[in-house]
Amino acid sequence: MQSSADGLTGAGSLVESAPAVDIRGITKRFGPVTACDGVDLTLRRGRIHGILGENGAGKSTLMKMLIGLVLPDEGSICIDGVPQQIHSPLAAASLGIGMVHQHFSLVDALTVWENVALGEAGRLNPASIRNRIGEIADHYGLIIDPDARVGNLTAGLRQRVEIIKCLRRDPSILIFDEPTSVLTPEESVQLFSSLRQVVTEEGRAVVLVSHKLDEVLHATDDISIMRQGKVVDRLLAGDTDAPTLARGMVGRDVSLRSESAALGVLVIDEDGAKALDSNASPDAVPAVSSPPILTIDRATLRGPGGTPVLDDFSLELHPGEIVGVAGVEGNGQRELGDLLSSLVSLNSGSVAIEGTRVPDGRSGAMAKAGIGVIPEDRHDSGIVLDMTLAENLILVDQSRVSTGGVINQVELDDFAREMISQFGIHCSGPDAPMWSLSGGNQQRVVLARELAQHPKVLVAAQPTRGLDVGAIEYMGDRLKSAAADGVAVLLISSELEEILDLSHRIVVMHAGRIVGGMDRANVSLESLGLMMGGVAQ
Amino acid sequence: MTEGASSQRGARLGEWLFLYGLSILAALVLSALLVESTGGAWRSVVSALIDGSLRKPARWGETLGTAAPILLVAVGTIVSGRAGLINIGQEGQLLVGAAFATYFGFLIGGPGPFNVVVILFFGVVGGALWAGVAALLKFWRNVPEVLSTLLLVTVGGQLVAYGLSQSWLLLAPLADRGNRNQVSSQLADDNRLPRPEIFGNEISFAVILAVVAAVLVSILLSRTVWGFRLRMLGRNPRAAQRSGVAQTRYGATALMLSGGFAGLAGAAMLAGGGFAFGNYQLVPGFATNIGWTGLLVALVAREKALVAIPVAFIFAGLRTGSSFVGATGVEGRITDVIQGFLVLALLVPPAVMFLRDRRRSRAAATDRA
Repeated sequence: MQSSADGLTGAGSLVESAPAVDIRGITKRFGPVTACDGVDLTLRRGRIHGILGENGAGKSTLMKMLIGLVLPDEGSICIDGVPQQIHSPLAAASLGIGMVHQHFSLVDALTVWENVALGEAGRLNPASIRNRIGEIADHYGLIIDPDARVGNLTAGLRQRVEIIKCLRRDPSILIFDEPTSVLTPEESVQLFSSLRQVVTEEGRAVVLVSHKLDEVLHATDDISIMRQGKVVDRLLAGDTDAPTLARGMVGRDVSLRSESAALGVLVIDEDGAKALDSNASPDAVPAVSSPPILTIDRATLRGPGGTPVLDDFSLELHPGEIVGVAGVEGNGQRELGDLLSSLVSLNSGSVAIEGTRVPDGRSGAMAKAGIGVIPEDRHDSGIVLDMTLAENLILVDQSRVSTGGVINQVELDDFAREMISQFGIHCSGPDAPMWSLSGGNQQRVVLARELAQHPKVLVAAQPTRGLDVGAIEYMGDRLKSAAADGVAVLLISSELEEILDLSHRIVVMHAGRIVGGMDRANVSLESLGLMMGGVAQ
Repeated sequence: MTEGASSQRGARLGEWLFLYGLSILAALVLSALLVESTGGAWRSVVSALIDGSLRKPARWGETLGTAAPILLVAVGTIVSGRAGLINIGQEGQLLVGAAFATYFGFLIGGPGPFNVVVILFFGVVGGALWAGVAALLKFWRNVPEVLSTLLLVTVGGQLVAYGLSQSWLLLAPLADRGNRNQVSSQLADDNRLPRPEIFGNEISFAVILAVVAAVLVSILLSRTVWGFRLRMLGRNPRAAQRSGVAQTRYGATALMLSGGFAGLAGAAMLAGGGFAFGNYQLVPGFATNIGWTGLLVALVAREKALVAIPVAFIFAGLRTGSSFVGATGVEGRITDVIQGFLVLALLVPPAVMFLRDRRRSRAAATDRA
């Protein structure tokens, strides 16, 4: 752990070591799409190799070939100088390659040690597995309770389980796919210090796949930038800076300010906050003297165990303002979104629109009262995957395309085509099944539907999660213009940059309640951080 | 784009035909082996099947008449299935519907055509109420409908048997039943559904009723706001909850509609089924697996009401045809096994396609991630 602090700062001297992995000219096509196009990549022991690229640049496919989930069409892979055919994850494991996936492959109903033991051959020995978890935990500072049920763990702890699962097999080559996408900043720092230790003390080779500039810049030694299936640049982390990386990644000059959230660059520092404020924040901050349009009054909701997940939560939203709800994930943000989607009933407290109480938990009541929602997990309550795009556009309101209870197919198609062009949805047409759309386009369908309702309040929960730079920018612009049209926007996000970029006002949620707030103009990162940690201001 | 889509659709159709051809062929080969190994002759079995379902006089009318209640049950199953509810108690709902139809038919006993409507109406009511018990348990106490509907089949069977033992309920007066026990009175001639004769085949009016019901339900599900909302509920209950489709109301309605169709099938068997179904009176074992068969038809038709029409006729043909197989000297149990093979052959392709589609869409989802 001591070495990690200096380790984090980067490469140091270039250590000559035999390549752990040598990938030559690897190509993979999916139908007409070339996901990887003649990629060369060399991974060395004792170093962290960052692979940077936008969504769809081919990073994940490349890694899947390395662990045997996808077979390459052309090219060769040498492990420790020996050419290898990696046909399956088992073959990869026997070569000492382990991967921590972006989406966890854990069984919620099982405990930590049971999950770690999954997939092991031979007889189960709980005591020795628990011991091993303890050893790994002590060694890398990955403290975890082996008997905790995985379903009850936070995202950060689940990832810890994944990492322990991976380290237990003692891999010499470790791959991390977007490891910080679900982590808080503190958890990320912790993760990178463990990584540094794995690399410097044990001579393993680590790959860090990411689209966040600052983590690649600060946590890796070598950097390969991928764009459209090709490696377009190879750099040493010590010799480069964020703008160079950003240019390489998107293939053009980017304004780090407008895309800061997307690229994960924290451009805020002491005076940076002011600079960003003048540039990115909407200049006309609405007058707070207008009456609130949404009033949540002392909302309390108890979880399954009886502990409150929303605890005396009160919030007022005024027309035309964007209020950012910051906070570490799992502090009631999901339940807040569910409340405003009529998905949960409160134990006490109330929700009102323009002073009129909206019955909580009554099917459709919130939507009818004028609350549009871009849900945190669109697959959960935002879209119906087995319906068509057009049908997904009228989930909430069928009246615009129906007369006398009968849906007019022509009107529906016309409406869908209008939305497709207005929101730039890439699809084969109104009849495209929803599951055939990419995540970003599914999100546009949700956005189109909710805005077409002319909502009074728009709740955007983690609206840009998993989207690429262009889509993030688009979403931000749409939210700003909605606010400019007088919609009250509630932005719930765990990406602080996103909140700083878009909000007029910021409140911080911790343990189901609002622990503090501040105007965008007077942001203090330090007190924000303290509040997110639960220290009320 | 459209060209690609249509060629894709063509390829898909080809796959379907291939799968069905393969699995039916397999079932036929297995059946033939079974018949031959037990001392029968498979040619005569096939011939008997066709004789019984189509070729012999009055047989295709019989097949159509058998298909009618099967189709009605299947249509109801499709309604609840689209709402994401698994009703597997049609056999009981059908029986309770038939019992209601019998009881109220004799209780009200109005003039002929009017009483036919009364009989059908109370069939619907009986089936809907019996499914309503399951709906109540589900939405009030969270009892899974897949369990409650199934178990209510047994309860319904016992209750109707009790009714058939009590003369104040369903049991016919002694004069009407001779020395038979546990039968209701027979419906009077003017209380029966018409059976017009076409080409020497008596066609039950219930056939028209069932086909019209299938077409109406198909339109209801695909074209109306109500059907749209019902499908939304079935595919994503949480999206439905947010959008104002209350699971309690829509789900209970769908389940009761499903039971109502089963009950209607029971009433139609009673009032229009002829000798195949109790000869216009309620008898023990009245449902004779029509409820189960209808459930299978809905599965094979993959919850498409229009597809259910031909499927129901095929299943009805298997049923009427196999009643002739006994005459070839092949044992009844062997016939049952053959019928089982053929049903399986019809069920396997949808299952294969379903699994494959799911795998593909999952693969597509992970590729994009």
